Amino acid sequence: MSDRSVPRYEAALKVTGRAAYEGEVPAVGLLHAALVEVPIARGDVVAVDASEAERTSGFATMVSYADAEPLKPSPATALIRDRAVHFAGQPVALVVADTLSAARDAARAVRVTTQARPSVTHMAQALNTAYVPAMVGRFPSVSNRGDATAALADADRVVRHRYETAANIHHPLEPHAVVCWWEGDKAVVHTSTQAVFGTRAMIAHAFNMPPADIRVISRLLGGGFGCKGQLWWPWMFLAMLAAKKTGRPVRLELTRAQMFRLVGRRQETVQDLALGFSTNGCLTGIAHHVTAQSSTHAEYSDATAVYTRYLYACPNVTTSHLLVRTNEPQPVPMRAPGTAPGLFALESAMDEAAVRLGFDPVDLRVRNFADHDQEAGRPWSSNSLRDCYCIGAERFGWARRPAQGTAVDGRWRIGWGMASTMYPAIRQAAKVRVQLAADGAVLVQCGTQDMGSGTYTALGQITADALGVPVDRVTVELGDTVLPDGPFSGGSQVTASIFPAAAAATAKLRATIAAMAIADEASPLAGQRLDDLEFRDGSIRSRSGNVGEPWANVLARKGTEGLEAEGESGATQHPDLTATSMGYGAVFVEIGVNAGLGEIRVRRVCGAFAAGRILNPLLARSQYVGGLVGGIGMALHERTETDRATGRMLGETLADYLIPTHADMPEFDIALIEEDDPHLPGSVKGIGMLGTAGIQAAIANAVFHAVGKRVRSLPIRIEDVLGRR
Amino acid sequence: MAKHHVQTTINGDPIEFLCDTEETLLDVLRNQLNMTGTKEGCSTGDCGACSVTVDNRLVCSCLMLGVEANGKKIGTIEGLASGDKLHPLQQKFLEHAALQCGVCTPGFLVASKALLEKNSNPTETEVRYWLAGNLCRCTGYDKIVRAVMDAAHEIRSA
Amino acid sequence: MTSPPFRYARATSVDNAIAKGICNGSAFIAGGTDLLQLWKAGVTAPAEVVDISRLPLSEIDCSNDTLTIGALARLSSVAAHRDVAMHHPLIADTILASASGQIRNMATVGGNLLQRTRCVYFRGQDVPCNKRQPGSGCGARDGVSRQAALFGTSAACVATNASDLAVVLIALDAEINIQGGAGARRVCLSELYRLPGDTPAQDTTLVAGDLITGVIVRNVARFAGRMTYLKVRDRASFEFAVVSVAAALHIENGVIVESRLVAGGIAPLPWRLTQSETMLLGKVPSDAVFVAAGDLAIQGAQPLSENGFKIELLRNSVFRALQTIGGAS
Repeated sequence: MSDRSVPRYEAALKVTGRAAYEGEVPAVGLLHAALVEVPIARGDVVAVDASEAERTSGFATMVSYADAEPLKPSPATALIRDRAVHFAGQPVALVVADTLSAARDAARAVRVTTQARPSVTHMAQALNTAYVPAMVGRFPSVSNRGDATAALADADRVVRHRYETAANIHHPLEPHAVVCWWEGDKAVVHTSTQAVFGTRAMIAHAFNMPPADIRVISRLLGGGFGCKGQLWWPWMFLAMLAAKKTGRPVRLELTRAQMFRLVGRRQETVQDLALGFSTNGCLTGIAHHVTAQSSTHAEYSDATAVYTRYLYACPNVTTSHLLVRTNEPQPVPMRAPGTAPGLFALESAMDEAAVRLGFDPVDLRVRNFADHDQEAGRPWSSNSLRDCYCIGAERFGWARRPAQGTAVDGRWRIGWGMASTMYPAIRQAAKVRVQLAADGAVLVQCGTQDMGSGTYTALGQITADALGVPVDRVTVELGDTVLPDGPFSGGSQVTASIFPAAAAATAKLRATIAAMAIADEASPLAGQRLDDLEFRDGSIRSRSGNVGEPWANVLARKGTEGLEAEGESGATQHPDLTATSMGYGAVFVEIGVNAGLGEIRVRRVCGAFAAGRILNPLLARSQYVGGLVGGIGMALHERTETDRATGRMLGETLADYLIPTHADMPEFDIALIEEDDPHLPGSVKGIGMLGTAGIQAAIANAVFHAVGKRVRSLPIRIEDVLGRR
Repeated sequence: MAKHHVQTTINGDPIEFLCDTEETLLDVLRNQLNMTGTKEGCSTGDCGACSVTVDNRLVCSCLMLGVEANGKKIGTIEGLASGDKLHPLQQKFLEHAALQCGVCTPGFLVASKALLEKNSNPTETEVRYWLAGNLCRCTGYDKIVRAVMDAAHEIRSA
Repeated sequence: MTSPPFRYARATSVDNAIAKGICNGSAFIAGGTDLLQLWKAGVTAPAEVVDISRLPLSEIDCSNDTLTIGALARLSSVAAHRDVAMHHPLIADTILASASGQIRNMATVGGNLLQRTRCVYFRGQDVPCNKRQPGSGCGARDGVSRQAALFGTSAACVATNASDLAVVLIALDAEINIQGGAGARRVCLSELYRLPGDTPAQDTTLVAGDLITGVIVRNVARFAGRMTYLKVRDRASFEFAVVSVAAALHIENGVIVESRLVAGGIAPLPWRLTQSETMLLGKVPSDAVFVAAGDLAIQGAQPLSENGFKIELLRNSVFRALQTIGGAS
């Protein structure tokens, strides 16, 4: 087993500025693109007139509805085929020109005639139109276990409150970009996407082409967090249409302002949550009802109340999700989708209950620990949540928690809070190909992506370990549809998905080489027993006989060019599961409130996470801290602003939409609790999103602990905690 | 509009270019000179991904016109390493896993180098405030601070 | 959407700059940090930018308790200047709290004082703003108003001034030198800014061609050790102030003989808290006196739907600022 904390595979390229992101791909004769947007929140586009734009020097062409009309109707082409306007700032055409400046000049000169219609610019205006979506992700939108209404009516104590979370924007540091061109009937698309195969399938459908004629490439992504997916496709299609029309390569890059509007957001929620307890602190009934925003052109629902079905032991649980359509941009999954807003409500309510019932918050969680999945009626494949509470509490010093409202540090009122977090551990289908060269070099390929999540490193490590070679002997290729079919990047599932496929491929290669070696009289391993052989230090060795040789020599003597094998793994078959797999964590925070001025600062965080076996502790720690910081942003800073009169988003800059900076950072203590999980290949669970949920409630709970104010909406800001000087 | 003829030095090399009036230095670096190491994260000076040095001053190249670069010395991420030899900051970012998607990384490295040239022994607080003009959405910053402190130590001991 | 391209000219002298500046549709560019943001957002659309950054107006001089700062001095140069750090630490600290290192290295003092409001309607697109488009309405009044002013507003505009340095310099009675088509003049910095009234498009009393050439700060020694700038922010680092207070006290024989209190983030210009200043005269510093100053500071505040919290915040900030500097020396 190699030293697990190997450096990031592609780090050398990134630290020298040589890492090539797809929007930077050079192309001869490149045309630059600018989108034309309309200001109305709802209505129809009557006409798009490019006659003035055409006179701009450098103008090449404009594409709009007429050009998109031949595309097949689908959710991905709806926005560019239908002349309906769904939100203010929606693009209706794309102009391409020799320079970006010329493209912008021309875009400014395009005359769009619209017919406005009355619009709904906030959920609160149209609650009476709320409807039940069929599903929330892969879960049913409504659930009932036992009789929660009766249980809540009979409970000794009920905590019942409304919680609200604002819309957030993903804001990966790299805006979406595409550089695309056509080679005859074939399309080459370099783009920042979390799903090269999904993108290829969409192009094939829209343009009515065989997938084999389309190549989608996304080797390095500058972050994604859930937004480099389906909402990008319409604008990418416009770029492809322009490239087809002009016969030249086209580059479209979104501006940061457009990132606010065009490629998704975390869904705004209003959540009504009731927790019923008996006096011994055990949950007897839970009702969790969510109302969330949707656009008028697509449907998505975060699985916000879903995790309430699983986290705690409770015989009576009812949950539901409603959507309200508004003329605002469309939500998509964002970093800890569902768990981030849902656990804010649940873990705040648990804390309110702890206060009301007189229990220590950790103790209340432990009392309600679910020792199996009560919703599906299955055991957990592994659940170390109690260890998370225990270890996290110990490292944080939770036993020394001061009485509510008593701790101060100069001007700062100090508060401590904690929360549970969880995230499902699932897999997608994946194919991995491994090639061995006669000189011992290893190439591993999979068409999945790395958005900074460490996929290059993980796949390289998995492959190197399996073949017993040092990591630097392995070349990794990702993010290209010419490679074997790989999963989309998201849901913290890539590592878990590729692990079994890589294991299968390398197992085949080991078996082949071993068979070659024992049958080869020139090998020191001739005649050895198969089950006595191992791969270590670049060699194939007999454990008992203590003989061996570099396996490259086995290949070389055979005169083979090399060896190749593919391995496949399947997606989680949910109906067939015999155990439910989740990752868990416990987050403890200390915050300070600047009395009288209302400033809130996070001072220290301890997160104890149990997510199976950790492939690379160095990278894992980084993922968790990144997730926790994302959660801090959601808790204290991030919210979109919209002018309700016009429906237009405001403050579309990173000066107005605040994300945490260096100076906001607390101290982090991360405990990695390793688990063996016999149900999961390699005991691999996803870790990417565990950190981003739970901390929001922990912070709200700490605020209550500090100043006695219970804030039930995010973000928590100065006006929520302002008190006497 | 007439183009401007600009003469500069970039990473020690004399470079000449023609640019439109409204092209920023960032536009010129990325689109004309194919020096794509410097990134565009926001174009409004809020994220620091476009950080370069101009006459040894750390600036946001997205808010500087290309034409203003005339006669100035520009330093970008491409100039940090000496051939194959990484700058201690680059080495430490690598060792500490102080990067994930990597788009903020060039800006952080240029900004950190500027800091250490002004203050070779910064406290952790000084590092955090100096780098507060550079945003990262992936890492949570923690490793970046460690890497910079570690590099500062190494440079001082050299 | 970005504004159309502009022409570029480099000013060869102050007179040359003024002559160009008088022309319709011209704008001065120095550091460019605000101008280029406004241009990229489509808020301003100059036909020509006149680059004044290389004019010899960046000298910083400090002698006989008079600090002279050339308008083109970069914020970072001012903050790092030995004399400023020694004799005017408040100015240095305020600059360090106002923007990132990158911006401080580019932005000039003059540009900082002239920066336009951060109101999201002013800098927004397709929303009403009388400052940006006279007659189009004020979206903030009945819309997103968290950042809006409490004082000095009009039916036409509720935007606030964004400069930290202006708040502090006005507290220190700074003056500015202006050269323009009508010659040279020196005015109090407080006279630079206008209330919106019916013409919110004019932030300042400058006319076309006017160039701020320098800032003068005098007689600050009497406040030595008793000056502070309190800036309340949502985030620990660079961000425009939610509310800020510059406070200075001159105490002799245990009694306040002079005070300065100026608030930022709550008015279209740095807001002199004259009632509070007057009340403080002759008082012995105490928490009760500082509380009273805070109470007076908020008299007449006119909140909108989302910025009412700034009243309490202003009151507490005045108290806190005075408490910081009013204790035993």
